[in-house]
Amino acid sequence: MAVLTTRRRRSAGALAAAAAMILVAACGGGDGDDDTDSASDACKPAADGEKVELTFTSWVPGMQKTVDLWNKNNPDIQVKYKEVVGGNDGTYQAYSNQIKAGTTGDIGMVEFDNLASFRLQDGLADIGACEPMEEAADKFVPWTISQVSFGEEGSAYGVPMDIGPMALYYRKDLFEQNGIPVPTTWDEYYEAAKKIKALGATIGDFPPDQPAWFTSLAWQNGATWFEDDGGTWKVSLNDEKTTEVAEYWQKMLDEKLLDTVPGLGDPQWNALDNGKEWSIIGAAWTTKLLENSAPKTKGKWAVAPMPQWEAGSNAAGNWGGSNAVVWKSSKHPYEAAKFATWAFSDPEALALNNANGGQYPATTEGQASLPALTEGLPYYGGQKVWEVFAQASEGVDPDFQWGPTMTQTYSDLGNGLGKAVNGQATIADALADAQQKTVDTMKAQSLDVTE
Amino acid sequence: MATSVVPPQLAQAPPPEPTRRRRVRHKGAIVGFLGPFVALFILFYLTPIAYAVWQSFHKVEREGTFGKATEVFAGFSQYTRVLENGDFWASIGRVLVFFVASIPLQLGLALLFALLLDSPLVKGKSFFRLAFFAPYAVPGVIAAIMWGFIYSPQISPFPQVADNVDLLGPGLVMFAMVNVVNWVYTGYNMLIIYSALQAIPKDVIEAATIDGAGQVRIAWSVKIPAVAPALVLTGVFSIIGTLQLFNEPRVFQSISSAVGSNYTPNLMVDATSNIPDYYFAAAMSVVLALITCTLSFTFLKLTQKRAFG
Repeated sequence: MAVLTTRRRRSAGALAAAAAMILVAACGGGDGDDDTDSASDACKPAADGEKVELTFTSWVPGMQKTVDLWNKNNPDIQVKYKEVVGGNDGTYQAYSNQIKAGTTGDIGMVEFDNLASFRLQDGLADIGACEPMEEAADKFVPWTISQVSFGEEGSAYGVPMDIGPMALYYRKDLFEQNGIPVPTTWDEYYEAAKKIKALGATIGDFPPDQPAWFTSLAWQNGATWFEDDGGTWKVSLNDEKTTEVAEYWQKMLDEKLLDTVPGLGDPQWNALDNGKEWSIIGAAWTTKLLENSAPKTKGKWAVAPMPQWEAGSNAAGNWGGSNAVVWKSSKHPYEAAKFATWAFSDPEALALNNANGGQYPATTEGQASLPALTEGLPYYGGQKVWEVFAQASEGVDPDFQWGPTMTQTYSDLGNGLGKAVNGQATIADALADAQQKTVDTMKAQSLDVTE
Repeated sequence: MATSVVPPQLAQAPPPEPTRRRRVRHKGAIVGFLGPFVALFILFYLTPIAYAVWQSFHKVEREGTFGKATEVFAGFSQYTRVLENGDFWASIGRVLVFFVASIPLQLGLALLFALLLDSPLVKGKSFFRLAFFAPYAVPGVIAAIMWGFIYSPQISPFPQVADNVDLLGPGLVMFAMVNVVNWVYTGYNMLIIYSALQAIPKDVIEAATIDGAGQVRIAWSVKIPAVAPALVLTGVFSIIGTLQLFNEPRVFQSISSAVGSNYTPNLMVDATSNIPDYYFAAAMSVVLALITCTLSFTFLKLTQKRAFG
């Protein structure tokens, strides 16, 4: 008994896990026992007059207001909204358990990089042939559609909610005062870093705990980490393009030109607000985050396109961005698709999402015409920063694909990057290790893998 | 010698056995009281364990890029993966080092504090008892966040230390965590030892005093042998607790690049079940449980004779 209490005391999570297991056990293995309907057959509207109730979970601040607007205008399709914690902070684990137990509800939120993982778990409905999605598909930025369709014509495993095209946020005042030109290429970034180092600061941070950030840098350079090669996965985390990126940042680390504090937390925000770091390579959603987290430097910031590998080109990485997914267990995929396409492509809904949650829309028209996205922002000295992201969004390589075990890939890559900033290994080692472990994990999932 | 007359068992003489007839008469009540516990115990303790063991003998099979999974029996193949997994054994090694670095100090301090509180020389006992125990009232996660804040350069309230000593670097981060764990659990262990000290009959101490023994001598020859069972108990708790270390490294993961997702076995199980590779995670949990049991029982066996006579 003493053992029991000690265990309880030491790992609070165990209880939750146990409860989840009971659920799973009670419902029996949900795997492989339902027939695959073709999407068009399954995606029919409910009978006339039937009232449909949908459930929707997400972690976007203020999403309830968008849902309220929908509920007011659609008495027959009522959406019940529930706010949850961020995906990697626990919601993905909960989704995975719910998929096994068959209790996922109707609509959820999954970031682009984890979409393949949930498809592998057979949790997602293909709503590509659902009428509302067919009609809305053209509104979205093309590369987001290729992400949700996994390159299969007519498929869609989610409705793009928002995207994270990247740019360079920099301290305009400091760069100007010290006569350092704002870098437009990575070579210039390196030169600027050396000058800033000489002034006792750093140009920016290499956050070892943000493997997704590093992934986006590789994405910008045209890396292809995962490919679907006719039923076989091709994994190449250390391809030529990525190696080039790795060597570049390794040089920066070796010459100690960068800060290496964990990203997107107090250490980094303080460094940015105190002038210890002069810039951050961030995504569209960083706009609001930086404004809230580094308030002292209001008005001193500006946004420029990401530095380029080749002068004059317009390649950008994408960091983050999410989808509204319709779960396979949903009984009303048609209505779910109808709500999701409205919530993330209708101008009125997009304006609410941006005002309350800072979302940068995944639709071309939304990016171009949303009033909130055409104004200058005081925090950025009145600059119309969204124009930079609209341009970046066009420069995102549409062919980048995510692997089906991204959580594992990220955690192994993150472990390796931690060793790299501590000088115990290199970024190349981190990639090689993550490559090997990704292949092993995928093989353990009985997937065909080549390197 | 006063010590020879102290039977340590005296401290925990069992209550008299209830008679058979009484037990039968209250059968209904016993079932009524025990029933809910047994039901919950089976539901929330035994069933998940059984389910984990069952899962650890399975794997998935599928075809194609996104093939549908079918669960098939896999024999010991998940266990083979565990045995061959260098990261898992490295994490076990890490917690064993952690154990060596933290437990002697933690239990030593707990014993020292307990003896001090029990000695007639110290004033304000109830204040110190509470003061030493207070950290245990702070949840482990909060304690880790608090200490992490103190350790972090740039945001630490003690920048003279945090800016100059890399407490979160690969060299020192383990000791930084040892400090958090000891801070939380020393007072807890102290209380267990202290209550064992309270159970020593007063006349034994008096006899020793009359024999001319000083406080140190009494502590060494009377009190410590008498609380040996309590020390063993706290020792076993600590073995189990250290092998299952989770909260502190999980919090430190977000502030230190030297703590990875495979730092301790429990962190690794958590990361693996997030993939989600439940089968592999289940096998790791079972192996970890077996190691914990083996170590605890070995420790008990080694110390039992000495402690329980």
